Amino acid sequence: MSSTAIQFEGLSKRFGKVEAVKDLSFAVESGRVTGFLGPNGAGKSTTLRILLGLVHPNAGKASFDGVGYERLPHPSAHVGAVLEEASFHPGRSGRNHLRVLAAAGGHPEARVAEVLEQVGLSGAADRRVKGYSMGMRQRLAIAAALLGDPEVLILDEPTNGLDPPGIRWMRDLVRAEAGRGRAVLVSSHLLSEVAQSVDDVVVISHGVLRASGPLAGVLGGSDGPITRVRAIEDGDRLAAALRGAGHTVNGGESGSLLVPGTPPEAVGRLAAGEGVALAELVAVSRSLEEVFFELTGGES
Amino acid sequence: MTALLRAELLKLRTTRTFIALTLVAVGTSLLIASLVSALSEPTQESVLTDVFTADTSGLFIVVLAIVGITGEWRHRTITSSLLAAPDRLRFLAAKTLAFAAAGALLSLLISISISIVGMAILSGRNLPTPGLGELIVQILRNAEAAALVGGFGVALGSLVRNQPTAIVGVLVAGFAIEPTIIALAPDFGRFTPFTGLTAGVQSIPAGDVGNDDMHLLSPGLAALALLGWVALAFVPGVTLLRRRDLN
Repeated sequence: MSSTAIQFEGLSKRFGKVEAVKDLSFAVESGRVTGFLGPNGAGKSTTLRILLGLVHPNAGKASFDGVGYERLPHPSAHVGAVLEEASFHPGRSGRNHLRVLAAAGGHPEARVAEVLEQVGLSGAADRRVKGYSMGMRQRLAIAAALLGDPEVLILDEPTNGLDPPGIRWMRDLVRAEAGRGRAVLVSSHLLSEVAQSVDDVVVISHGVLRASGPLAGVLGGSDGPITRVRAIEDGDRLAAALRGAGHTVNGGESGSLLVPGTPPEAVGRLAAGEGVALAELVAVSRSLEEVFFELTGGES
Repeated sequence: MTALLRAELLKLRTTRTFIALTLVAVGTSLLIASLVSALSEPTQESVLTDVFTADTSGLFIVVLAIVGITGEWRHRTITSSLLAAPDRLRFLAAKTLAFAAAGALLSLLISISISIVGMAILSGRNLPTPGLGELIVQILRNAEAAALVGGFGVALGSLVRNQPTAIVGVLVAGFAIEPTIIALAPDFGRFTPFTGLTAGVQSIPAGDVGNDDMHLLSPGLAALALLGWVALAFVPGVTLLRRRDLN
């Protein structure tokens, strides 16, 4: 059973005249992968940095099971984070970077070799970070996040710099972590990637929450599910019957009808009652991209 | 705090800058001590401070300390550091203590090296040498000065995030502004952190730092005053760090 792992309550942050985050509230559940979506400059990174105690909010709070990051008794054992523009001392080796973080977080040094193995960097561990590719740096950042075997993973654009096998590896990792009961909050602009790996989505734009909830629910849009129906012969009679029953009916392609807010079962039952034979009856699923652009007003 | 201190010392040990500057500091100090031992004619009264205070660790540790704290911003490692240690006061305190410890260790390494070389050269020239007891006291005073200057470097770096500005600023202060104050206003000059007070802690004669008329503070008082400078920079430094948003 899932429980709330992260909670944002009325979060607001202003940088000078720019209101980066406005009265943002949502929750992230344990055992689920939550996609945090929004156009560039929507306030995603600011929100995550507030959660991690790096940026101070003007109002509201962000917490882990009610406790702010700075007050967690053992923060890096509870929360692992990969932030956009993860940075490293260029002259330090990957292994030494992790040794420093393990020492600071009070994690056993043996974890360093384990996480290096987990992210596939064991062979390059003793090379200086300045010689790493972007993908290797991203893997190193993920290794750092996993050092404390945390209950919560926060990943800001984690697939940046990863090649296709790396992206698949990342997808498997977040699914596996959620499968172990971890809460995973992933911010990304790769909508197709997010759609394949998340359970829930949170969409923000201009710092304001536009939608949140299970992916299927959000894909349904504000009108709920959309059904596409096509009668073999009596299309007009079916449309009239649907309107008569109080449903909205829009014209689709090739004589089909679109019925927003009504599931296929209800449309099929009504058609059967009218004795109208159907050639097609399907639930229309919108892509995450369509929903995203609808919610964010077409920003990218 | 112990974990953070260990992490900060590990950060220091795992960069080439630290190793390179340590070697340069040891080399420079040995060169100065060797030249002074070989070319000067120190008396029994002056030999201790003439030869055995040629410890350049103070200069190098302050530069290393500034590089250490400003590098957190330059390489943006401040984010991962504060994710591991979100209490910013503890983070800065650990870094200050780490560089104080590093300064003391570097100074001990240098002072012991120059003691061995200096004693050997002076003995070879049949010149007076200090007693073992006073030599040990001098080594400890050198280490105390380096520790305080190392901590001061971190505190200064927390105020001035720009690395080149901070380093150039400290070098200008130590090599131009402080000597000028000492020459023109010795009553104020004895309170200058890199020259007057460091000389006081190390018990170096005022004439050796530019003004015979300057009345340096006693080693204990000078150490306290230097600690005051550390606090003076540390308090606003940590206040700034706590208020700062890390975007």
